[in-house]
Amino acid sequence: MDVQILSPEAPSKTNSHKNQNAMDVDGGDVQLVMPGETITSDLQFMRGHGTYLDSESTVISSVAGVVERVNKLISVRALKARYTGEIGDIVVGRITEVAPKRWKVNVNGRQDAILMLSAISLPGGIQRRKNEEDELQMRKFFAEGDMVAAEVQAFFVDGAIGLHTRGHQFSKLRNGSLVVVPSALVQRCKSHFHLLPCGVHLVLGLNGYIWVSKPVIGNPESTDEADIERTYSNKNDIIDDAERESIARVCNCLRALARKFMHINDTIIIYTYEASLKYPVKDLLKKDVVDSITSEASQKLTME
Amino acid sequence: MPYLSQAERDYITEGVQSDLRADGRGRLDYRALVLETGIISQANGSARVRLGDGTDVLVGVKVEIDQVEPDADNVGKVVCNVEWYDILSFCFHYVHGYDSNYAKRTISSPSASQQFEGHGADDLNNELTQALQRVLGGPQCGINFEKLCIIKGQQCWIVYIDAMILDYSGNVLDTIFMATKAALFNTRIPKTQIQDLGDGEFEFEVLDDVEDAERLDGIENIPIGVTLNKIGTGHIIDASPLEELCTEAKLTIAVNKDSQICGIQKGAEGGIEPGLMSEMIQTAKRIGQSLIQQLDQKLQDEERQVDEKRLNGENIEKLGFFAMV
Repeated sequence: MDVQILSPEAPSKTNSHKNQNAMDVDGGDVQLVMPGETITSDLQFMRGHGTYLDSESTVISSVAGVVERVNKLISVRALKARYTGEIGDIVVGRITEVAPKRWKVNVNGRQDAILMLSAISLPGGIQRRKNEEDELQMRKFFAEGDMVAAEVQAFFVDGAIGLHTRGHQFSKLRNGSLVVVPSALVQRCKSHFHLLPCGVHLVLGLNGYIWVSKPVIGNPESTDEADIERTYSNKNDIIDDAERESIARVCNCLRALARKFMHINDTIIIYTYEASLKYPVKDLLKKDVVDSITSEASQKLTME
Repeated sequence: MPYLSQAERDYITEGVQSDLRADGRGRLDYRALVLETGIISQANGSARVRLGDGTDVLVGVKVEIDQVEPDADNVGKVVCNVEWYDILSFCFHYVHGYDSNYAKRTISSPSASQQFEGHGADDLNNELTQALQRVLGGPQCGINFEKLCIIKGQQCWIVYIDAMILDYSGNVLDTIFMATKAALFNTRIPKTQIQDLGDGEFEFEVLDDVEDAERLDGIENIPIGVTLNKIGTGHIIDASPLEELCTEAKLTIAVNKDSQICGIQKGAEGGIEPGLMSEMIQTAKRIGQSLIQQLDQKLQDEERQVDEKRLNGENIEKLGFFAMV
């Protein structure tokens, strides 16, 4: 058995600190700051999240992240932070607790999100209201540990995210595996459900949880009992070795992109996947291969 | 308590069956390691080993002089301790030389990985400390304990091995074993000079010269651990966190360079059939030996590079925590 034992590498030297004090806040470029770095010493700006003022009223970053400005308000969005939801976001979460009339869902947020029993599609017609029988068999829908794709519907008074899974694309997740990336990397797109040309289905959760799986067969829009049954099924379909390999390859491509801290969307995933085809799947965990496939993919993206 | 859904469990189990795990590895593939020794200047020896994209272990070795035990007066000893990262105890122990437990009692905040917060961290600390101590505390570890004795019946060296788990993404015990072996390879013990005062009285002096310090005797025989996780009917090495959650039973086998077994520990609730058990032991022997060879090779290469730099009068720079992840 061969194992790669590497030496640590020194970070590459960059000269990003061109104009330390007089940074142009209005510039179009993305400004990355480190904790303790001066963002601006201009007195007209107000401090927002992720910043503080020192004695001379200069705005200083308290986190490592990207500077954002809304009129006179300057804030820094941290690169690695917990997920803060926005209404309409598609997220992937894991059920952590079954509570009266609700589920607690881990969505990588500051606190668990809440999925109400009244916010899921119940068997026997979409328009059906929940009844006592449903309350008594909540684990038939979602039990602890189950993965679920959902949409952010509302916020509770304490700031907890309220989710819903009404609609044919939301369901219990199976047939595949989870990849966790920093939530800042997943971009908001028109759709977060993708069927890649290689036959792998993706749910890109904006909270950084990505579900990679074999697509579930069956007519998802049909309301008949068998299909609803399938929505809450715990059993995987039969996955052959070729399909399993494609899923593993997509997972490793996602990990590679996350390692290089690159934005994740369906296009870049496809390009990375194509670039990865010349390597065996397990080699995609190696550093030099990660470098090569991600740079090839980003080149292809800039060429367009 | 971290959970796993039934569908994920089945997916991982089937993956092990068909020799294609969720990250594309086969059953007996190891993730890449990143290793550096000698990064803590205050310790007698140290190493940091990172495995895959997460697991991160720092081991420091400190030798101290102490009284010998009354019932074994001609040997020194090895004391192991494993802890989840806690920034205060770390700073106190290595920077200020205070007892790490003192700092822990004062302010306690286990971190490293969310799932091991609170009392869970203490249990895990104990489990890992015991596993390491059982292998390295006795003669099976290959270290010549008699050489650690300075004056028979009076004083000896005690080797403290402190492992700190900085981050977790599976297979932490094997990483600790590897980091420990690397740190002990890096360890130098000061030489002592004994003076005979007559009447059976002895006195000794510790030589300060760094050049004179020598390696522990028997370092090449130190075993490493190979953990085999039984998932379904197959077994895998170097499990990822999700795979560890699916593990029915696991066997950690300590193997030395001659593929002799230096300790076996079983973990998790499930059972192992006798046939599978002997198969697992054979696998561990083979893998352990190959791992040790490659680890030794790497350690020697690293040391040779450092020696070359020293000969040329170059500055020896350790990256330590400034290394790119």
